Amino acid sequence: MTLTTKTVEAPAVSPGPGKGGRGRSRREAGAGIVLTIPVAVFFVVFWLVPFCGAVYLSFTDYEMAGAPRWIGLDNYARMLQDPGVWNSAWITVVYTVFTVLPTILLALLVAVPLSGPGRLNRVLRSLVMVPAVMPLAATSMVWVIIYSDRGLANTLLGAVGIEPQSWLTGSDLAIWALVVMVVWKSLGLFVIILTAGLQALPREVYEAAAIDGAGPVTTFRRITVPLLRRTLLFVLVISVAGSMQAFVPAFLLTGGGPADATQVLPYYIWANAFPYEHMGYASALAMTLLVAMLVVSIVQFGFLRGGDE
Amino acid sequence: MRVLRTVWLLSAVAAMLLPIYVMLVVASAPDDTDLGGLVFNGFHLPENLAELFAGEGFPVYFRNSVIYCVGSGALDVLFSSAAGYALAQLSFPGRRVLFVLVVGTLALAPMVMIIPVFLIVKELGWVNTIQGVIVPGMISAFGVFLVRQFALGVPKELIFAARVDGAGELRIFLRVALPLLRPALVTLFLIHFLAQWDNLLWPLIVANDPALWSLPVGLANFQSEHGFNYHLMTAAALVTAVPPFLLLAGLQRYYVAGLTFGGVK
Repeated sequence: MTLTTKTVEAPAVSPGPGKGGRGRSRREAGAGIVLTIPVAVFFVVFWLVPFCGAVYLSFTDYEMAGAPRWIGLDNYARMLQDPGVWNSAWITVVYTVFTVLPTILLALLVAVPLSGPGRLNRVLRSLVMVPAVMPLAATSMVWVIIYSDRGLANTLLGAVGIEPQSWLTGSDLAIWALVVMVVWKSLGLFVIILTAGLQALPREVYEAAAIDGAGPVTTFRRITVPLLRRTLLFVLVISVAGSMQAFVPAFLLTGGGPADATQVLPYYIWANAFPYEHMGYASALAMTLLVAMLVVSIVQFGFLRGGDE
Repeated sequence: MRVLRTVWLLSAVAAMLLPIYVMLVVASAPDDTDLGGLVFNGFHLPENLAELFAGEGFPVYFRNSVIYCVGSGALDVLFSSAAGYALAQLSFPGRRVLFVLVVGTLALAPMVMIIPVFLIVKELGWVNTIQGVIVPGMISAFGVFLVRQFALGVPKELIFAARVDGAGELRIFLRVALPLLRPALVTLFLIHFLAQWDNLLWPLIVANDPALWSLPVGLANFQSEHGFNYHLMTAAALVTAVPPFLLLAGLQRYYVAGLTFGGVK
């Protein structure tokens, strides 16, 4: 450890790592290690080790009490026989499709006119942020009120002469009640992201299109959507991943009920792991969710790459 | 055409704000008789807030939320800025391994990690402790990666010039790089604070003790604590919703920069 080596010979014209004296690069390496050690330890202890642990636990019958016992693929075999899994998988698919696609479409329809100049648009852009910034926990409480027997949802139905409904306690409507809330909550966020993407598009293309006499629909289909492709895919990827992992709406609005009608997979994993302490089985469920999410992302990224050629 | 566009935008934004309006109406109601939420029935919000903060749980949850968000946000900024800078500008052994480790976790869902992380926290004896709530979610790949991308833009000449002037590496990080990284660090703190403010799952799992509950956990347990008391519950939701807005007032563009990181261009 000789930190005494002076690096006076370092020429002032060649910046960049690896240049200069040996003592200098050793000091640089030392600083690099000191600055990254906390993060390295953190990621090993709270990501790498737990991930390996989750893979291992998924092959055991661990139940919190006692030691984990290796049972091979039994958990995975049990999943195939478990009607709760099929129910949750189906509900997760419905929930994901209907919280993602309508939201992106609506967000696009709002973002395109909203991204233009003008003071009204600027004010509206700030207002759109309000639902996006609201914490989901607070949002969920407000929607519990809206869906309550005498809440806004039934007031609005009454205004058009329809009977009041049990939104959160009737098994037909509960999942759609969740979907509507999540669409509302995500819409503002997506509008912000899409508006930022739209504002970054080159203006000249639009001017050229206007000179060529392209109407708004043609401009939207032929110019806006193709140019916005990357931003749209970004929104798609983050929203699909978010919906596949969504726990809070089902937990706060319906508690997975009624009769498991809103028991999305993340809720089923949580219920198995924490109230019931089936850690091994819940880990196998979690691994399955992870693989499903990875497959879905790979498909989406393949789509992205295909579009770039 | 223009009129149609304005009408569409105004009605879309009005629909997006309607639930917020309902929140204000119900949170200001004297009782639960009218939850339809379209007409103000007096303005009893101050009394409702006074009742909430006079209760036993709510002020504790509020204080806990502030501690968790400010504490873990500050720690995230500290550690992520150091690591992000080093990954971008310094060469040291293990750099590539660390980068792959950090970025690799972006593929892992929190829902997948929650069981084994809970078991580790239990092993450490941190269940029902403040460090148990804060530490596991303290640093994220998002933060390290955000700072690293930003730090790649710090001119190498600047760092080299500081070295020629004889500044030590840590001094260069603190005095040269850190001031230039400030916009990224503001973005990181904001995004971290807002995510932590709304984090229900982890505190729910790791803290059974109401003395450690945060606002989302308090809201989730509101009915078991107060019974069906919808106007108070809505007032509690309103209090939970306000701090993010206060924080974002004036810092909006940092927030949007974080949301669209990776999405635009």
